[in-house]
Amino acid sequence: MAFSVRLERLDKRFGRGARAVHAVRDLSLEIGEREFFTFVGPSGCGKTTTLRMIAGLETPTSGRIWFGGTDATELPPQKRDIAMVFQDVALFPYMTVRDNIGYPLRIAGLPRARVDDKVEKVAATLGLADKLAQKPGQLSGGQQQRVAIGRAIIKEPKVLLMDEPLSALDARLRVDMRTEILRLHRELSATIIYVTHDQVEAMTMSTRVAVMDQGRALQIDPPRTLFRRPAELTVATFIGTPAMNIIQAAVMPTPAGPALELLGQRLAVAPRHHAALDGLKRVDVGIRPQALRLVPPAPGRITGHVFLREPLGLEDEVLVETTGGARVKAVTASGEEFPEGAAATLDFAPRDLYLFHPESGLTLCHGTD
Amino acid sequence: MRRFQAGATLALLFVVLGVVAFPFYWMVLSSVTPREALFQPPYKFIRLDFSLGNYRELLFATEFARYFINSLIAAVGAIVLNVVAATLAGYGLTRFAFAGKKPFAFGTLFSYMFPPMLMAIPLYILFSALKMRNTYTGLILAHMAISLPLNIWLMWQYFQIVPQSLEEAAWVSGASRLRALRQVCLPSARPGILSVAIFSFALSWNDFTFAFILQTDRRMFTLPVGLASFVEQTGVHWGMVMAAAVLVSVPTFLLVFFLQRYLLTGLRATG
Repeated sequence: MAFSVRLERLDKRFGRGARAVHAVRDLSLEIGEREFFTFVGPSGCGKTTTLRMIAGLETPTSGRIWFGGTDATELPPQKRDIAMVFQDVALFPYMTVRDNIGYPLRIAGLPRARVDDKVEKVAATLGLADKLAQKPGQLSGGQQQRVAIGRAIIKEPKVLLMDEPLSALDARLRVDMRTEILRLHRELSATIIYVTHDQVEAMTMSTRVAVMDQGRALQIDPPRTLFRRPAELTVATFIGTPAMNIIQAAVMPTPAGPALELLGQRLAVAPRHHAALDGLKRVDVGIRPQALRLVPPAPGRITGHVFLREPLGLEDEVLVETTGGARVKAVTASGEEFPEGAAATLDFAPRDLYLFHPESGLTLCHGTD
Repeated sequence: MRRFQAGATLALLFVVLGVVAFPFYWMVLSSVTPREALFQPPYKFIRLDFSLGNYRELLFATEFARYFINSLIAAVGAIVLNVVAATLAGYGLTRFAFAGKKPFAFGTLFSYMFPPMLMAIPLYILFSALKMRNTYTGLILAHMAISLPLNIWLMWQYFQIVPQSLEEAAWVSGASRLRALRQVCLPSARPGILSVAIFSFALSWNDFTFAFILQTDRRMFTLPVGLASFVEQTGVHWGMVMAAAVLVSVPTFLLVFFLQRYLLTGLRATG
């Protein structure tokens, strides 16, 4: 059976003195049995270090790691009942595909015939049956990654760790492998802990995602929640393509309560959000490109001209430069009027706006509320 | 133009080949020329009075066979100890963090700069006190003193290009550190190990200084010292000396011939 993985106030520093790096800061979370849990964030955010601590390849500076009910903090990687797929594939170049996949079983001391048997089964599910006699150097990037996955799953590990396994593949292959990994997750009944910098991978595969930045988990939630209810501005701009537009707005006191001055357009604020804006002079307003539409120019509203139109097939990505010089991205149906250079007004429903605190970045109000 | 360049390159190579190969050819030729014919003019590039007399005399009338065995023991000992020590040291330097790592590495390279003569006399005094003069152990240790620093440096460079993730993959597969080193690291570092072996052999096989100073007992002479003793006797028997020179170059030739592929990759990795 799989087991849960619990990180308790995990902290990791590298080096000492002026060049010290605080890679992971006070990270606590629990990953459930058979969950597909993803750490996502920009490079240097601490996601890989966290995964390596779970694998036993790094020792935490402080904090504990629990595998089910046992304290695994001090266990060496050999004793952890985990398997790992590495970013650089890390196949043994002098061994055949057969020996690479079978390596964990041979170390466990299984007889040659049993090892061969299992290797052939795993190779068949990964479409590698005719590659067993070859060396890794003779395979394509996608095949190498399959071999690495085969080596990881052959021991039927309780926890499967994957460190950016798809980053070395080209875009098309990456999509295929995503499906493959999801299928494996269903068949293996193992907990998968996945690390990526690609938010699309995180969103499409995971049951839950931890968005990391500077060694902290900013938010841990299912993909849909991250998209709809981001806890702060960094998460809001990281999740979703194209990225959410962030525009500074002034908060104006009116007799009816605070109103927003947004790129020359005045917007009333719904009464239930008045308390959140209390005492603020300005806020960061976020709006997703998909929530914007282009309409003919109208006075008193956000107006500008189409600066750039990028056709994506069904939709176009449109960059609009407002009269004030701000640039806002919108996603619209392709081939509509408003070619590059045309004047247009940005139309949106006020309830699609997100408001973020100007200093802390914390979300004051969610677009869907 | 391109053809002219190729031709010029080829011509230059032939000139270099001639310069390098002629002494070698002359050595072989002299070694199979009978003693009486060697200094009889006219000297010709091709002689047909072939004889193995020099070799017979060398092997049965002198201590050459003993010197050869002594040299072989010293060389094999130096190879084995160098490979073991340099591999482990190189691995340790790349994979573990410890205090004084940088000074150690530079100290290693610095100690390689000493000329053998500078170490030979202190070693003579030291080994006298330890009763290690005229022993194989002493000679092997002395040879290691000059070859090990560079070998450690070489293996250090080598392990740096073996990705750490290979070993980590072996660890999470359940392999112990030693097993991962043996099954995963060493195969990738094999060209480096062979370079270490060849370099250790060459230094030991060609060493004159240490053998001359430390091995005073005639029965413990190595080939370079033994050969020199042939020359110092009154009346040099050049035919026999040349025969000895041919036999001395055979192991070196064989080693380089069979391992040149690895030697070249080894030089590329460090250069």
